[in-house]
Amino acid sequence: MPAEQLRLSVPTTGERPARRLPARIAPMQATPVDAPFDDPAYLFEPWWPGARALVLVERGGLRLQVDGLADALAAFPELRDLSAQLAEDGVVLDGTLLVLDDQGRPDPELLRSRLGGDSRSGRPAYVASDLLWAGGQPAGRRSFRVRRAWLEAILAPGDRVTVGRGYVGDGTLVAEALGGLGVEALSARRLDARHRSGPAGNAWLRAPVTPAEPRPRPTLSLILRLPLDV
Amino acid sequence: MWRGAIQFGLVTIPVKLYLATESSSIGFNMLHASCLNRIQMKIYCPFHDEVVPRSETVRGYEWSKGRYVVLSDEEMDAVPLKTVRAIEIEMFVDAHQGSAGVEFVKQAYYLEPDPIGRKAFELLRQVLSETGKSAICKIVLKDREQLAALNPYSRTMLLTTLHWPDEVRSLEELNIPDEPIEVKPAERAMAEQLISSMTGQFSPDNFRDDYRAALMSMIEAKVAGEAPVAAQRAEPTKIGDLMAALEASVAAAREARRGSPAEVGEEGANTAAASRGRKTA
Repeated sequence: MPAEQLRLSVPTTGERPARRLPARIAPMQATPVDAPFDDPAYLFEPWWPGARALVLVERGGLRLQVDGLADALAAFPELRDLSAQLAEDGVVLDGTLLVLDDQGRPDPELLRSRLGGDSRSGRPAYVASDLLWAGGQPAGRRSFRVRRAWLEAILAPGDRVTVGRGYVGDGTLVAEALGGLGVEALSARRLDARHRSGPAGNAWLRAPVTPAEPRPRPTLSLILRLPLDV
Repeated sequence: MWRGAIQFGLVTIPVKLYLATESSSIGFNMLHASCLNRIQMKIYCPFHDEVVPRSETVRGYEWSKGRYVVLSDEEMDAVPLKTVRAIEIEMFVDAHQGSAGVEFVKQAYYLEPDPIGRKAFELLRQVLSETGKSAICKIVLKDREQLAALNPYSRTMLLTTLHWPDEVRSLEELNIPDEPIEVKPAERAMAEQLISSMTGQFSPDNFRDDYRAALMSMIEAKVAGEAPVAAQRAEPTKIGDLMAALEASVAAAREARRGSPAEVGEEGANTAAASRGRKTA
């Protein structure tokens, strides 16, 4: 998005005093749908195979909110200096925590061993998708289009942390492209929707890249089918 | 190799022992990564903070925490052992009787009789074979008295060393409840059908160590200079590379569609979405 156009859509926060960030934020939960679709009202992104994570930056200090992890930052110490990439304070980012393998591809196995306490496996990265707070002000009432433009304006891309690439409208095209990357789902965010804590309704959808196929039966299915519990 | 004699009653048959099996796993040496020289294991004393020559070491048995009884070589040699240099047959049992203990084998050895003992050796082998018996015996190997079974095998005999009863761990450590598990006739019939469909004649030649073969072929390829050497990455992977891969992949998908009318880009979308003008904004 051109910078000039961005400026127009980025709200100014200077006049209001910064507020303290909440201790914990209930994230938006995507609504599952059956298949990818095309719609110019949506921004399509890969559903990166990682852990949903909120990054809270306040007075330069950083918190990482990951479901089920008390101290996520201990598992991902490399993300501590993320705030240096941010142009503002009092910021909450919504995105995906990844662990990259040697080839630079997200590896769910490496992520699992990270979450299991092995802080040396793979290379952690964070892909930001949404901006919930900025300048000590909640941003959730703005449309996603504004939040996303704002996010790109305040988060400078780095080696580990960046704003994800999104594509407006062409959901089925992105889904086709994702097959080759080993990504199994597609995220679709509605550009004119505000942020909602909890179920997203049509503001955020999750579609499988390919419709699920039945798995072939394992060879020992004879044993598995024995009605042992009957 | 070991040289001694089979002894039972008044009979003595001089024999040699040879290992009947060899480990075919591929051995590796530990090298220093930077210079590829063999790493040397030094014996180190943390109290004196120095490397100790083997001649300055003694055997110690820890009889209570941190307290040792030291045994010299002479004392070790003086330990009375009846089975020194002898395979002392204690009893004969029915072969394959499956009694506990015989299953837990350690190592198999071939026996080779000295010329002077060939006739007695063959006699023992034939009688064991015809009566279907195993000889249970004791033998000292590597400073240790071992329990062993002696069985006829082809034109010679096989000595298999066994674990002492106190070396065999109790089943009590396993989580196998005592309560009987009920099995329905239909379940049993299906399991029997599966087993019978996979029943055959065991021929060891049909089984190979696939891992060893794969490892060996990789080593051979490396020697021949064909192996893909694991790339030393000049710099660590970056999240930007992943985004670039995504862009390339989307561009390729778009190219595959060739001339699809859908224009992608934030600006195009802005106008399109704005024209829809929904209330949620």
